[in-house]
This record gives sequence, structure tokens and C-alpha cells, in this order.
Amino acid sequence: MKLLKDFFDDQRPHFEPGGRFARYLPFFEAIETVFFTPAETTPGGPHVRDNLDVKRFMTLVIVMLLPHLLFGMYNTGYQALVAAGQAPGPVASLLIGLYHVLPMVLVTYAVGFFWEVLFAVVRGHGMSEGLFVSCMLFPLTLPPTTPLWQVALGISFGIVIGKEIFGGTGRNFLNPALTGRAFLFFAFPVRMSGDAVWTAATVGVDKAVDAVSAATPLAVAALTPKGGGIAAALHEAGYSFWDLFWGLYPGSVGGTTTWLCLIGAAALCFMKIANYRIVAGGILGVLATGFLFNALAGEGSSPWLGLNPFYHLVMGGYAFALAYMATEPVSGPDMDAARWVYGFLIGALTLLIRVFNPAFPEGAMLAVLFMNLFAPLMDHVVVQTRLRKRMVNV
Amino acid sequence: MQALLLKRGLDLPLQGAPEARREALAPPARVALTPARIPFIKPRLKVAVGERVKIGSLLCEDKRDPRLRFLSPGGGEVVDIRFGPRRVIDAIVIALETDEAAVEFAPLSEDQISGMARETLVAHLLDGGLWPLLKAFPFRSIAPPDDTPPAIYVGLGGQEPFQARPEVYLQENRDAFTCGMALLGRLAPEVRLGLPAERGETLQALGDLASFEFKGPYPSDDPGVHLYHQKKDPAENRSWFIHAQDLLLLAEFCMTGRYPTRRLVALGGCRVRQPLYLDTRVGVPLAHLAEGRLKTDTEVRYVVGGVLTGYRDTREGFLGWEQTAVTVLPAGEEKEFLGFVRPGARKHSFSRGFLSALRYEPLSMDCNLHGEERPCVACSYCERVCPVGILPQLAYKSALAGEVEESLAHGLLDCVQCGLCTYVCPSKIELCRFLTDAKRTYLEEQTA
Repeated sequence: MKLLKDFFDDQRPHFEPGGRFARYLPFFEAIETVFFTPAETTPGGPHVRDNLDVKRFMTLVIVMLLPHLLFGMYNTGYQALVAAGQAPGPVASLLIGLYHVLPMVLVTYAVGFFWEVLFAVVRGHGMSEGLFVSCMLFPLTLPPTTPLWQVALGISFGIVIGKEIFGGTGRNFLNPALTGRAFLFFAFPVRMSGDAVWTAATVGVDKAVDAVSAATPLAVAALTPKGGGIAAALHEAGYSFWDLFWGLYPGSVGGTTTWLCLIGAAALCFMKIANYRIVAGGILGVLATGFLFNALAGEGSSPWLGLNPFYHLVMGGYAFALAYMATEPVSGPDMDAARWVYGFLIGALTLLIRVFNPAFPEGAMLAVLFMNLFAPLMDHVVVQTRLRKRMVNV
Repeated sequence: MQALLLKRGLDLPLQGAPEARREALAPPARVALTPARIPFIKPRLKVAVGERVKIGSLLCEDKRDPRLRFLSPGGGEVVDIRFGPRRVIDAIVIALETDEAAVEFAPLSEDQISGMARETLVAHLLDGGLWPLLKAFPFRSIAPPDDTPPAIYVGLGGQEPFQARPEVYLQENRDAFTCGMALLGRLAPEVRLGLPAERGETLQALGDLASFEFKGPYPSDDPGVHLYHQKKDPAENRSWFIHAQDLLLLAEFCMTGRYPTRRLVALGGCRVRQPLYLDTRVGVPLAHLAEGRLKTDTEVRYVVGGVLTGYRDTREGFLGWEQTAVTVLPAGEEKEFLGFVRPGARKHSFSRGFLSALRYEPLSMDCNLHGEERPCVACSYCERVCPVGILPQLAYKSALAGEVEESLAHGLLDCVQCGLCTYVCPSKIELCRFLTDAKRTYLEEQTA
């Protein structure tokens, strides 16, 4: 440890103004602060400060995402083995998943880090830790079969267009990871939707002979004929409510497990990292809209209308989007009242997209991005109302 | 009694609170007046090095209003005048003589005070150099002597770590305090004193003087917070306030006819061996105050005042005239290995992002920033601790952008400068400083 500290202390002068690599100070500091907290002290009052900083703030989110990554790897391997007709042992599943997912994660981090350093160096500001969360979220939203060059392209779009050109973390109005995800969805629809993409091939098995890959629950639901029950169709395809809840089914790498989302969201809300108002609003939004649709459902109407709203909570990536994407504080609203509305509308919009436009089965992603755009407007209304109530003091 | 229940704010679980034990400190060899620490004045020096002064002799006055006089806290010879950057007067140092001479003022009995014309009383306080202890909202500047405020709020203080607590400094001082309240009653139509809802005998005895009681975390004892939550009309924004401990000085001056020099100082902080209260003088050297009382193993920072609102000084500094607390904290210049992933059982945070969230215990805190400055991530922590309902995360942006109207609409002038927004900010933004600076700029524009 002493050795490491001396190493950084020795190298520091090269990166400080006047040193050979002065331009790369943000890069140096990003590396150094991973190992050592900065020695900076408070300039004046308040003389003591809260221990939480943005690095810790973001790290806590990453910590909550790690189980998703682990489960995602296991699930990817598991589905690949099932599709290939082999016995899905835990070790084999995990190893195959590792083989598919780890390269995606590594590529995401390498490319994301490159862009962040580039912008930090050119702009001369520090590197922000929000990047590490975006780079952890992004691969978890992708199908496990996504080619690595698309992964690189997607995260580039997300980081650069979704964040950096507006000034970096804290100034982005869109969720960077979702921006990248949406870009891939619209740019490469074939690789991002359909039945074939959600199950990775087992190592050594040719993709062409892999004909038994199962349909995702959303796809099953979308294909349910008029007048049929989606819940029954799901059951027939082997997806009970609790299967969906536990998440062992083909889908995006990290987005299938509702129970982990539940734990993650609860922990982040308890720690005041995520705002519980958004999560609660999101759940209420789905339930309220879902029950309203149930009331509207009749003979011959779309089977989606009659679906029990609780299924909506566990299907697709909604739980994941609500727990980790909607609660991203920067692109969401600043005001508490607006947070309730924001969460509620994300839920309502997700259902609207799922029910009335099954061509976009992944409604949650679009709903969050759409509400990102409206967050400033909602804030404006709440702030103005609040300021009008203040007694003037000039 | 009207009750004020305040929810927003934060109590820091900080180690090193002074015990309610008073000890007389040996007389110092020197005392000083520190004009640079008195906000909103432009001092004009009225003495030179080598001159002999009495207790209560004029040392400097305000250039803009020479009626604001700042008097000597000791009798002896002016041995040093320290200047800071741009020749601000840091300290006027007086070497004390064994028997100090004092300027005599006319003592006033309570009856005399109540029978006096208001102008005569104001002139008497101005003359005695104690008027500047009366402060005016919203800028917390010295009260303008020609105005009559709608009300005067009396702040007991003591919630901020580690200001002197009222139950300690008001012990055996009830008469002086009553006299002070009577005196304020002559200056304004209304005097408002709030007592904490949970109070011991000492404060309970003041029940008949109080107009309301309050309950809540720091800064629920701040007169600015009381004003914000009780005002019914914008005109009340120009109320005045005074700290109870300063009110005791006013009362002592009127009763004895001598410029008061005694102060009860709270010495606290986790680098102090036995935090306690010291009976000493106005303007005592910090080194004298801390002599032999500190743990010596680490670098320390001297904070004059509380840890959130106080100012930083060195061992060579002197206790400010308006200050009654010194807090000594670890300087916190060490780097911590992998600090951001540690569980943090002993790291305080407003969030619950550390293990410390699971149990309450007083913690040691140092002056480390615990992070680097980052753009605001809209976590809303500042809004949740703001005692006067400002949205600091938005107000500071409009203040920095120079949008005066917008920052005023956000309630800039209601800000009580408690420092909590800066304390909780995970992006380490100096919110409180930006808001305070914006207030000062606005005042300067108003008076220019």
C-alpha cells in the first residue's frame, strides 16, 4: 500500500500543470482516486463534510448491479444449454455465460472509458463516475447475442450523444445507457428483437442448428390470438408468474430477474441513492393503468387489455428499467412531486406501448426515455407553483 | 405557548461535545480585537502601536457609519496591529497590564432603562460599542441605528456543534438576561424569544419571557429560522436579532457602566482532551485557550465558532469579539486506501450509504472533503435539510448565473447560512458559500 502510494506520489508531478502529461491529469486522477481518496480538505465552513461523494454514490449502484451481472451470466449459459438440449449444470451455465457476457462488459467499459477520458482531457474537467454505472447498465440491457462491434457502437452513441455533448454527467437530460440501447434497437432491429437473439449459442454448437431457442415471454404475449388469455398462453409456453419473477428465461442479459430488481431498488431507496417516489410511482402507474385496461377489456379485444397488471411488473425489462434507469437522478426530475408523476407516467406509458403497439414490445425503455424529455417540464411546473407560495423577501 | 415544530435540518453526531463544566482560565497576557472578522464593516483605525488604551477605549470605527465604534477588550499597550491581504485589519493586539484602567460609562438601572427615550438608549449603546451585536435580517449585518424593526428575535444558539449551550451560559445569569430583554423591549415593539421544547430548569425559569417554543434538529434554534416560520407579512423580513450570549454583554454594560470583557467559551471537538467551558475574556489568544488541552498526535484545525458556520484560524489567532466557541478538529489531510468501497461503520452520512446508518453514535469527523467536486447530480439532499424551504440545488445555479430576480424568488434572502446544504452535498459543491456571496453582492448593489 505504501508502495502504491509512493508510486502515485512520484508520478503526480508529471501530470500536474507544467508536467509532461499535464493534459492527462483527469486520467491520472481517475486512476489514483480508485486507490486513494483525495487529500483535499474543506476550504472553509462547513469544516466537516458528509462522507458520501459521487464516487460512493455511483459505486453503490454498481454493487447492486453486480448480482444482476452474475445472474445474467448464469441465465445466459443456462438458456444456451437448454436450447442445445444439454443438461444445464450450474458451473457449465456460469462458464458459458461468462464466455458470452464478459466480452460485452469489457468492450463496453473500454469504449466508454475511452470517450470519457477523451472528453475530460479535451474539456479539462475531471472524470465523472456516472460512466461506470452507465457501462454496467448497458450490457445488461442487451440480448446476449449482440455482436461486440454493435456493443461498442451502442455505448459510444449513449456516452457521446446521450451525455458528453451536453457536458457530461450532471448535465445529461437522457439516460446514457438507455440512449445507447435505443440506438441499437432502431439501428439494428434484426439483432435486437425477434426470437432468435435472446438465447446465446452453446460453445461449439453452430447457430444454424440451434432451432429450439424459446420465445421470450413478451413475444409469447404478443402472439396470443385475440380473445385468448395472455397469462394462459404464457403458462402454456412454460412461463408461470413465478418463473417470470425469478427470471430464469431467455431475455436481455440482466433484465429478466424481477426479484433482484426488487432487492436492488429497495436497497438503493433505503440508502437514499434512488428515490423511492419514482419506484412507488412506477409501480402504481402500472397497476392503475393495468386495472383500467382490464375494465376496458371485452370480448374480442386485444388480449393485452385483459392481462393481470402484476404480470406487467414481472415481464420484459420493466422492473429493471424502473429500478435502475428511471431512478437515475440526473435525467429524472428534481422535485419530489414531479418524481411521483414521472414514475407513474413511466408505468402508464410502458403499458400503453405494450398494449396498443406490440411492435415495440420493450415499452419500458422508450417510456423512460420519453419521460426523461418531460422531466424538465414537470420540474418547471412544480418549482413555479412552489415559488409562488413563498412570501416575498427582497 | 405557541409551538414551532421544525422537521428539516440535521443533527451531526459529532464527538467532543463540551461537558457542562465551567473552569476559570488563567488570565491571558494579551487580548485582541479582530475587525476583519466582523462582517459588513470597513474599519478605520483609531490607535497606533505603542499607544496605551483602557478597557472600552476606541480602537476603530466604521468608515461608513462612525457611530459604530469598536472598543478595546483590555487595558494596556497596543503592541501589534496585524494586517492581512489588501490591508484588512486582522487584529489589534493589546498587552494587558496587571491593573487595567477602564473607561467609565453611566450605569443604568432597569427603571432608568424603561423610563429612557429610545434615542438616548440607542446613543448609549452606540457609545458603549455594543450596538454592533444587534444584527438585522436578511443580511445579518449590523442593525441600522436609525431604524425601528418590527421585532427583535433572541437566539439561544447551542445546537450547532459546538456552540455554547444556553443552559450553561444562562446559569446564574437570569437577572442579566431579564434586564437585557427589557432593554430590547425599548428598541422594538416586539421581542421574540423561543425556548427549546425539551429544556432543563435553567431555561424553564425563562418561561415568562418566551413567546414560543421550538423542536427540531439543527438549526431549529436559529432566529432566522424562527422568523421564516412565523412571519405573517413581508415587512417582518426586516426584523433584527441578537444572540442571547451577546444580550448578556449588553445587559452587563448597562448594569455596571463598564465595557464587558468576560466571555464563557465552549472548547470542543474531537482533538480536545476534555471538552469543557472556559470562563475567560473577549479576544483571548487561541493558543492560550488551547494550551495543554489538545491531543497532540495529529495536525489540527482551529475553527472559531461552530463546525458548520465558524471560520478557520491558526494557533496564532484570537477569539473573535462575537464568537463564543472554539472547535478543534483533525486536519484530515491523509489519503485513505480504497476509501470509497469501505463499509464505513464510523463514517457519517445524511444518506444511508454507509454502515453508520444502522446505529447512532457520536463519531469523529475531520476536515477532509471526502471526495472531489463534481457537477450536481440532482440528489435533492440539500433540499431535504434546508430549514427554510429553499431549493438550494436550483437557487445556487441562478445565483452563479447572476440571475438576481430568480435567486430572490427562490428565497435567497431567507437563507440562514446554516451550512447544511454544503455539508450533505455528494458533489462537494459549496452551495452555502455561493448563496452567502450572492446575498452579499445583492446588499452591496442595494447600498451602492
